[in-house]
Amino acid sequence: MTRSIDYGYAVSRLRAMENRLLDPGAFQRLLDSEDLPSAIRVLSETSYGKWILEQQQENQFEPAIEAELQYVYSEAERFVPDPGLYQLCRLPYDIHNIKVLLKGLFNQKRGGVRRMDLLTALGNIPVDDLVMAIESEDYRLMPFGFHRTVPECVMLWEQAHDILQVERLLDEKLFSLQLLIVGVMPFDGARLFVRHRIDAENIRNLARLKRMGYEAAQAAPFFHNGGFVSLDRIVSLINEPFEGWERLLAFADVSKALSGGQEHADLDSLLVDLERSIDDYLTGVLEKFRYSSFAPENVLYFLWKKEIEARNVRIILVGIGNGADKAVLRRLLRHV
Amino acid sequence: MDQLGIMLAVLGAALAAGLAGSGSAIGVGIAGEAGAGIMTEDPGKFGLVLLLQALPGTQGIYGLLTAFFAILKVGLLGGATVSVNVWQGLGILFACLPIAIAGYYSAIAQGKTSAACIQMIAKRPEETGKAVILPAMVETYAVLALLMSIILLNSIQL
Repeated sequence: MTRSIDYGYAVSRLRAMENRLLDPGAFQRLLDSEDLPSAIRVLSETSYGKWILEQQQENQFEPAIEAELQYVYSEAERFVPDPGLYQLCRLPYDIHNIKVLLKGLFNQKRGGVRRMDLLTALGNIPVDDLVMAIESEDYRLMPFGFHRTVPECVMLWEQAHDILQVERLLDEKLFSLQLLIVGVMPFDGARLFVRHRIDAENIRNLARLKRMGYEAAQAAPFFHNGGFVSLDRIVSLINEPFEGWERLLAFADVSKALSGGQEHADLDSLLVDLERSIDDYLTGVLEKFRYSSFAPENVLYFLWKKEIEARNVRIILVGIGNGADKAVLRRLLRHV
Repeated sequence: MDQLGIMLAVLGAALAAGLAGSGSAIGVGIAGEAGAGIMTEDPGKFGLVLLLQALPGTQGIYGLLTAFFAILKVGLLGGATVSVNVWQGLGILFACLPIAIAGYYSAIAQGKTSAACIQMIAKRPEETGKAVILPAMVETYAVLALLMSIILLNSIQL
């Protein structure tokens, strides 16, 4: 018997849980809301409802989104046989928390304030443990090799006082950790997903750095190893006009994320659409596994879809709260 | 030598019941796991899940039926004991193999198909009819194997 049979229960449960994902109709109703309170009322009729009811303050939706994601992750942890699959999805939150805490620490040293409200409970490492480790500078018990990375970040900051270098180091750590986790998994889909994700992140960085006017040599350290497209090829694109990127990367799957790039007048408008098309591209990478009833990659597919759903909800609610044009909001929504 | 003939016939019966039954146990287990996953979220689907989970269980019944035929033929299930030489015993053993082998593999395959169809009804309960037909297609080959085992058993002259 193959190991994938172990996922019979998990995949079936996730299929049933998929029924609770918001459908296009629900997103449309959210978009049609006149103002933020009415959008939150619409949201309270969905799976997010039970968390909205627990809110102490009116017009607060972020804690409800986080609580729903937390619920989904904790449920998945109970029945997914390979912890690596959900750890993979929670790692970006650990990195986010470490960035928040380190920035707070560096800010404090310069007389600034710490933003503890930006911490999220969605990471693998409990927030309290993380805060305790970083505040007491006792990194020994930090998992995932962070006991080495965090002091390295602190040292880097003390030498250069450049927060970008610290962020870059942590991002590098994120992808190397993800590659490490999927490297020991006995199935290929997770590895493919991480490698495609690295390619997508490199393209995102490429567009941002190009907009900021970076030269190839300056931009090179911001790209990550491990994707399908070589770093040399990615770095060389920074000297090319963005309209030609899709053609130059036509040999790689990630070029799909750049399709329609020629239609954009400038990099700003490309970047807005790129965020969405990168997410859609990554959804496409995992989508093919949905037809396999026992594929462990279905776990990643479901968790990724839940993340995308939360992103869509956030886009709509923030947009409505700020009075954004509904047509623009609709264009920003990811495919779920 | 008569004893060896009978033993070979008994081995055939044991393989038919044992292998087909094992396949069914695995198949029902696979479908059951999928069913449990669905029912954790939606207990109302118990009826549909039970129907699909039971489908891979039929190979075990076919194996048992063939085993009964085999031991009935050599008179181990009451009546006068029949004299069975080695060649006749081997014939009975070989006659039991179609349902033993096809029963084992088809039950596992049917279990996987049932599990996939259980996942299908989780999302589309209105498609239950189609969900039953797909695993039933796998059943065809178990039925063909049963048919062949019975024909072969009947063709052996004692």
